[in-house]
Amino acid sequence: MTMEERTVKRDRMRYIKNSLAANLALLGILFDVLYFVKIYQSDVGTYYYTILIGISIVYNLVFLLAVFLASEGVKNYKAGYTWLLAAIGIGQIARIFIIPARAHAATTLVNGESVPVMGDKTFLYVVILLVLSAVCLLASAAVNFIRCRELAEHMKTVPPPSTGT
Amino acid sequence: MATLSLQHIDKIYDNNVQAVFDFNLDVKDGELIVLVGPSGCGKSTTLRMVAGLEDISAGRLYLDGKDITTTPAKDRDMAMVFQNYALYGHMTVYENMAFSLTMRKENPNVIHKKVLAAAEILGLTNQLNKKPAQLSGGQRQRVAMGRSIVRNPKVFLFDEPLSNLDAKLRGATRREILLLHKRLGATMLYVTHDQTEALTLADRIVCMSMGYVQQVGTPLELYDSPANIFVAGFIGLPPMNFYDVTVGNGVLTGEGFKVSLTPEEQDTLKAYAGKTIVLGVRPEDVGEGPDVPVTVSTNENLGMNTLVHGHIGQSKAASAKISAKLKGWCDYKTGDTVTFSFKRKHFFDKETTNAIRKGE
Repeated sequence: MTMEERTVKRDRMRYIKNSLAANLALLGILFDVLYFVKIYQSDVGTYYYTILIGISIVYNLVFLLAVFLASEGVKNYKAGYTWLLAAIGIGQIARIFIIPARAHAATTLVNGESVPVMGDKTFLYVVILLVLSAVCLLASAAVNFIRCRELAEHMKTVPPPSTGT
Repeated sequence: MATLSLQHIDKIYDNNVQAVFDFNLDVKDGELIVLVGPSGCGKSTTLRMVAGLEDISAGRLYLDGKDITTTPAKDRDMAMVFQNYALYGHMTVYENMAFSLTMRKENPNVIHKKVLAAAEILGLTNQLNKKPAQLSGGQRQRVAMGRSIVRNPKVFLFDEPLSNLDAKLRGATRREILLLHKRLGATMLYVTHDQTEALTLADRIVCMSMGYVQQVGTPLELYDSPANIFVAGFIGLPPMNFYDVTVGNGVLTGEGFKVSLTPEEQDTLKAYAGKTIVLGVRPEDVGEGPDVPVTVSTNENLGMNTLVHGHIGQSKAASAKISAKLKGWCDYKTGDTVTFSFKRKHFFDKETTNAIRKGE
């Protein structure tokens, strides 16, 4: 890519939305939705019918709202949302150890037989969903960070707009 | 740019209604042709046939000498600007302007350069991030034009692009289109029912009525030498006054008035001696003088001019109505009697409605 092409590409960011970062964030939401659908579908809800499940429901709602707002923010190259997305992305990894890992390790008695609360297949499935969600959110944050920095640098070279139409 | 040739074009709809009859026109490279006429005269149909949005029932259409009569609209390399702008409300100005090129999968950097260049031409650079709803009508129409410009088409087609704008904005946008035409040197076909737009924009005007071409010529030709009564009445504001008159020896005698003829006018009308013809007089060619007694009905002061409407003599018949555009400020009252003269006259055959010209 020549220097001119790179400059034009950066200049395009003034008018083109940061769709990649925004769509990655939305994809992160999608994986999270699949995750909690699976969790609440399984017996884990019954086993953990405690304050933990209540908190996880509230967290999911907050997650949906925050990531959706962040996706709108990064779409418009708002640098501040980078850190929010990164934090939530790391949080998705941490969530593996809160419900899925515990449920996988715990056992319950079924017909007098001890079985894990969450089977291997389900555990693997939900872990993959949380990891994918985390990857999407972290990638979204990274793309937004890089593009915001490029745009900010480019804007220093662009003359201010005239006041006329 | 491009030349366009329409040869014996007809448009007949499925219900056998014929909208356009034997339309012939050669558009030169870089020419701005305005199709003008009242609603339903076939001008938009003609434009849509050129664009490829309507099938051509008969005749041939050539672009740069190549027959494109049956070529699909997308392959004609023409861009059309519509009356209602046809912008995507959820897209920004930039995205709207880039849309057609994006669909053609052009290089994004090339698209960017073209959009910025078009925005610069149209003065939209500061509006590129706005959505159409945030723009005025004039700005929206400029976006619609910008969308055409970025495609760099061979021919621009405008279908009453200013009809949705208020009078002030229409004037401003009209001037912008004129400047755009000068700047791009593009071949343009422009449809309007507004004769002011036609007269101010056109290199040549095609005046249509009932699907037929009535006259093709420069704005001055249509104004100064209308081919028939329709063109004479359509071009000019207020419209021309028409009276049935009998050609006498050096005079024309109408209902309630007599006007003398110049030797040249007598020569023009020598074949019509004793016959009834139609006399046409533009309101701006009516002045104060001794020939025609008029009873004033309204007096409209426009600042530089005054429009005086009235009736010849005491008659209230529609055929005796007269409009005069007098210079300066006048204060005639309703019912006042004044006398006018006709400075310049147009003559029309009563049967054919065609203009009577010298030597014909």
